[in-house]
Amino acid sequence: MAVVQLSKICKRYGSGGPVVVDNVDVTIGDGEFMVLLGPSGCGKSTTLRMIAGLETISSGTLSINGRTMNDVPAKDRDIAMVFQSYALYPHMTVGENLAFGLKRRRTPPAEVKRRVGETAAMLGLVPCLDRKPQALSGGQRQRVALGRAMVREPMVFLFDEPLSNLDAALRVNTRNELIKQHHRLASTMIYVTHDQVEAMTMGTRICVMNGGRVAQVGRPLDVYWNPADTFVARFLGSPPMNLFTVPLAAGDRIRTPAIDTALTRWAPAALAPLTGQEVVLGVRAEDLHLAAASTGSAEAGRIRGRVFAVEPLGAETLLAVETEGGAECTARLPRDTRAEVGAVVDLFFRPDAAFLFDARTTAAIPAQVRSAGTGPAGAPGRAGAIP
Amino acid sequence: MSVDATLPPAAGRGGFLASRTALAVVIAAYTAYTLGPFLWLATMSVRTTGEISADHYAWPRPFHWEQFRIAWVDSDFATYFWNSTVVVVAAVAVVTLVGAAAAHALARYRFRGNRILYGILFSSIIFPPQITLISLYQILVDYGLYNSLLGLTLVYVSLQLPLTVYLLEGFFARIPQDLFDAAKMDGYGDIEIFRRIVLPIGMPAIATTLILNFIQLWNEFLFAVVLITDPDKRTLPIGIRAFMGDHFQDIGMIAAGVMISVVPVIVAYVFFSEKLIRGMTAGAVK
Amino acid sequence: MAGTSALAAKTEPAERVPASGRVSDPRRASWPVLLVFLAPALVVYLGLTAYPAVRTIYDSLFTIEGAERSYVGLANYRDLLGDETFWIAVRNTFVWAFVAPILDVATGLLLALALYAGVPFARFLRVAWFTPVLLSYVVVAILWMWIYNYDWGVVNEGLRAAGLGTLARSWLGDPNTALAALIVTHAWKWAGFNMVVCLAAIHALPSEVLEAAELDNCGWAAKLRHVIVPMLRPTLLNLYVLAFIGKMKVFDLVWIMTGGGPLWATETVSTYVYKRAFNWNTFDLGYPSAIATVWFGVVCAAVIVLNRIFKTRDRLEY
Repeated sequence: MAVVQLSKICKRYGSGGPVVVDNVDVTIGDGEFMVLLGPSGCGKSTTLRMIAGLETISSGTLSINGRTMNDVPAKDRDIAMVFQSYALYPHMTVGENLAFGLKRRRTPPAEVKRRVGETAAMLGLVPCLDRKPQALSGGQRQRVALGRAMVREPMVFLFDEPLSNLDAALRVNTRNELIKQHHRLASTMIYVTHDQVEAMTMGTRICVMNGGRVAQVGRPLDVYWNPADTFVARFLGSPPMNLFTVPLAAGDRIRTPAIDTALTRWAPAALAPLTGQEVVLGVRAEDLHLAAASTGSAEAGRIRGRVFAVEPLGAETLLAVETEGGAECTARLPRDTRAEVGAVVDLFFRPDAAFLFDARTTAAIPAQVRSAGTGPAGAPGRAGAIP
Repeated sequence: MSVDATLPPAAGRGGFLASRTALAVVIAAYTAYTLGPFLWLATMSVRTTGEISADHYAWPRPFHWEQFRIAWVDSDFATYFWNSTVVVVAAVAVVTLVGAAAAHALARYRFRGNRILYGILFSSIIFPPQITLISLYQILVDYGLYNSLLGLTLVYVSLQLPLTVYLLEGFFARIPQDLFDAAKMDGYGDIEIFRRIVLPIGMPAIATTLILNFIQLWNEFLFAVVLITDPDKRTLPIGIRAFMGDHFQDIGMIAAGVMISVVPVIVAYVFFSEKLIRGMTAGAVK
Repeated sequence: MAGTSALAAKTEPAERVPASGRVSDPRRASWPVLLVFLAPALVVYLGLTAYPAVRTIYDSLFTIEGAERSYVGLANYRDLLGDETFWIAVRNTFVWAFVAPILDVATGLLLALALYAGVPFARFLRVAWFTPVLLSYVVVAILWMWIYNYDWGVVNEGLRAAGLGTLARSWLGDPNTALAALIVTHAWKWAGFNMVVCLAAIHALPSEVLEAAELDNCGWAAKLRHVIVPMLRPTLLNLYVLAFIGKMKVFDLVWIMTGGGPLWATETVSTYVYKRAFNWNTFDLGYPSAIATVWFGVVCAAVIVLNRIFKTRDRLEY
C-alpha cells in the first residue's frame, strides 16, 4: 500500500552545476507499475535513486503515503531496488544474498528462513540456494536480484534497467515474469528503462523523460497515440514516427511537391494562426500504404519519394524513402511488398493518422478529433484504423 | 604446405631445428644459472665446513641434518627466526588493516582532497629510505623505541603502507558501486559495509598484498640493521649478516642459517607460486 | 554531523540544509566515518614518513653530535660539494641506475620471449626463473660472494677448468670489476621479475595483431622488432623506471658484498649516507642528513623527468 509522490523534485550537482533532474512532478498510485522511460542521461536513473534514498534531493518533496521522505535514510524507506548489474554479493551464496537484507532488519531467523524459502520457491531458485552468484546463469542472477527485493516485502519496488544485461529471449521471459509478480504482489513498482518495448508492455503508466524533465505521463497506448511533443512521438514506436517540417498552406492543407494531405483532425480555427508558418507533420510507419485504396479513406494523404532501401524482415517489409525535400521516411508494409531501389513511389495515409506539432516548441497541436478523448477514448477510437 | 615447398624446405627445416636447439640450450643454461647457486647453497647447508673445504662442489655424503639443529639452537638462528616472525607478522597484519581502511575510503568516497591525499600517500613509494632513516633513528631513540621489536614493527608498517594503499585502492575502486548501494538500502552502515562487503570481496587482492608485504619485510635489511643492535633482537637478515661477520670461515653453518631464513619463503612458494608471483609483480603488471 | 552539514551546504545552498549524514549519496560519507578509515593511515604516514622526512631536511642545517645540535646553515651542503667520496658515490649510483636497468629489462624480455615461443615446461620455467626475486639481498649477497670467491668460487673454478686461469681474479676485490660484479648479481636477482611482467604484457597483446604480422610474412625477428617491442613499449619503459628507482636506493647488496670498497669502487650514495651516519665514528647526523636531502631531491626529480621523457600514460608505479 504505497502512493509515491514527487513534487517539484530537482537534482543538481554543486551549486552552479548542471541540473540533471528538473522539476519532476509525478504521483505514482498504489499498486501501479510506473515506467520511467527515456534515453540515457535523461535523468530517469537519478530520479529513481532519489526515490531510493541513494541521492540527495536538491529541492522539492518526495513523499510516500503522505509522509515526507527527503530526509529519511534509504534503509528506513521500506523500498527495495533491483539493480542493473544485479549487485549480488559475490562472496555469499544465493540463500545468504536473499537473507542479507532481512537479517540486518532483525527479522527472527525462523521468519527469515520461511521467507527465503517461499521466495526461492516462487522464483524457481531452490536448487541454487547454496551456490554462489558466479555459478549462475544470467537469468538466474536476475531472479536472485528480484528475489532479494521480494523477500523483504517492501512497500515500493524500484527497478533500474534490470533486463538490459539479458539476451533477447531471456528478456521476454523475464518481462513476463515481472508482470506476473506485479499482479501477484500488487505492490507499487517503479521501473526505469530506455527500451520503449519494455515500457509499452509492462507499464500501467509510463513517464517519458527528456533532458531532466517529464515530457509526458500517461497510459502506454494513450502516450503512443497522443504524444505530447516530437520527442515522445519519436521515442515511442519502432521504427520511429516519420516527421516532416513543412509549411502549413491555407485551407487546412499541407501541399508541397512531396507531401499533399488534408488536415481533417484539426478545427480550422486551431490552424488559422499557424497558416503560412512551418509545422511538423508526423505519420507513423505502419500508417503508410503503397495504394491509396488500402488506407480506406477517400482523400488519403500522399508522400512522394525515391526508395533508397528495401528491408524485408520476413513478417513485414520496411521501405526507406527520401522525399524531394531531403527528408527521410520509413514505411512499414506487408511482407509481399515488392519495390525497387531508386524507384519513385507514393505512400498514402489516412488524414486522421496524421500528427501535427509546432515547429518551434515541438509541442503537439491539439487535434479536435481526439481532444476530448485524451484519456482512454483515444486508443480504442483508433483501434479500427490499425491494420 | 611449407614443408612441401620446393626451395626452402631443407634450409627452413634445418634452420627451424637449429633454432629450436639453440633455444633449448639457452633455456637450460639460464635455468642452471638461476637454480644452480641455490642448489649449491642447499648442498652446503647439510655438509660440515670441513667437508666443504675439502671440495666445495661435492654431493653431501652423509647428509648432516644436525647442521640445522646446531644453527637453530647453538648459533641463535631460532631467536632470529622468531624475532623476524613476530615483527613481520605483526607489521603485515597492521599495515594490511590500516592500508585497507584507507584504500577503501579513497576508492569509495568523494571528498575534497581525496586525490591529493592519495597522491601524497602514494608518492612516498619513490622516497629513498635515507630521507626517513636518519630521523627515524633519532625519533625512536627519543621515544625509547630504539633497539626494540615494537619500534621496528612500527617502522615496517610505515614502509609498506604506500604500496598497500596503492594496490588495494586500485582493486577496491573496481568493486561496482551497485553493491554498496544495495547494502546501503539494506541498512548497512559505512563500517559494516567495509567489514562485510569490501573485505570479503577484496580477499584476493588482500591476499596478494599480504604476500608481497610479507616477503619484502622478511627480507628487509637496512632499517633493521640501523634500528636493532641487541643480538637478542636481531631479525634473520641482520642475524645472518652478524653471524657471517663473526664466523666468516664457517661456510657450512652460514649456509644452514641462510637455508633457515629461506625455507619459509620457499615453502610458501611451492604452495602459492602463482599468488606469490602475482603479489611480487602486482605493481608493475597492468 | 556538523562536518557533513558543511559539506552538504556547499552542494546545496538552496532552501533546505538536510539533516545530513542520514540520507546521502552513498559516495559521500560524514567526516567522522572518513576519519575512522583514514586516521590510522594518516597517523602512520605523518608520524613515520612525513615527519622524519621533514626532520631530516631540517637537520641538514645542523651539526648534530649526540644531544648537541648547532646551527651551521648551508655549511653541510658546501662541504658536500667538495666531498670527493660523495661524487664517486654519485657517479657509481648513476652508472648503476642508468645502465643496469637496461640489462635487467632486456634479459627479462628475452626470457619472456623464450617462454612465449612455446617451449615445454614453460610453467615450471617461469616459476623457477622467478625464484631469485624472492630471496633477500642478504642471501643473494652471501651466495654471490661465494660464487666470486677467489680460491674456490664458481667463476674462477670455471675459468681455470677452461684453461683461462689467468683471467681468474678476486672479482669483488678488484676495483675494476667490483661494480660490474655487483651489477651482474643484482640483475640475477631481478631478471625473473622483469620476465614475469613482460610475459604478462605479451600475453595481453591482442593475438589478432600477432597473427596479422604473421600474415604479413614477418619472421620471428621482424615480428619482435616491429610488432612486439613497440607494443610493449609502455611496459618496458615502466619496468625501466621501476628498476631505476630500485637502483637509486641500492644498499643491502653493496653493503654486504663489498661495503662500498675496494677504494670506493662500489660506494653508492646509500652506503655512504649509512657510513657517515652510523658506521664511521664521526657522530654527526647533520652531514648525512644533507646527503639524504640532496639525494631525495635527485631521485624525485629523476623520476619526474623520466616519466616526462617516456610519457608513461599511467601514473608511476612503485
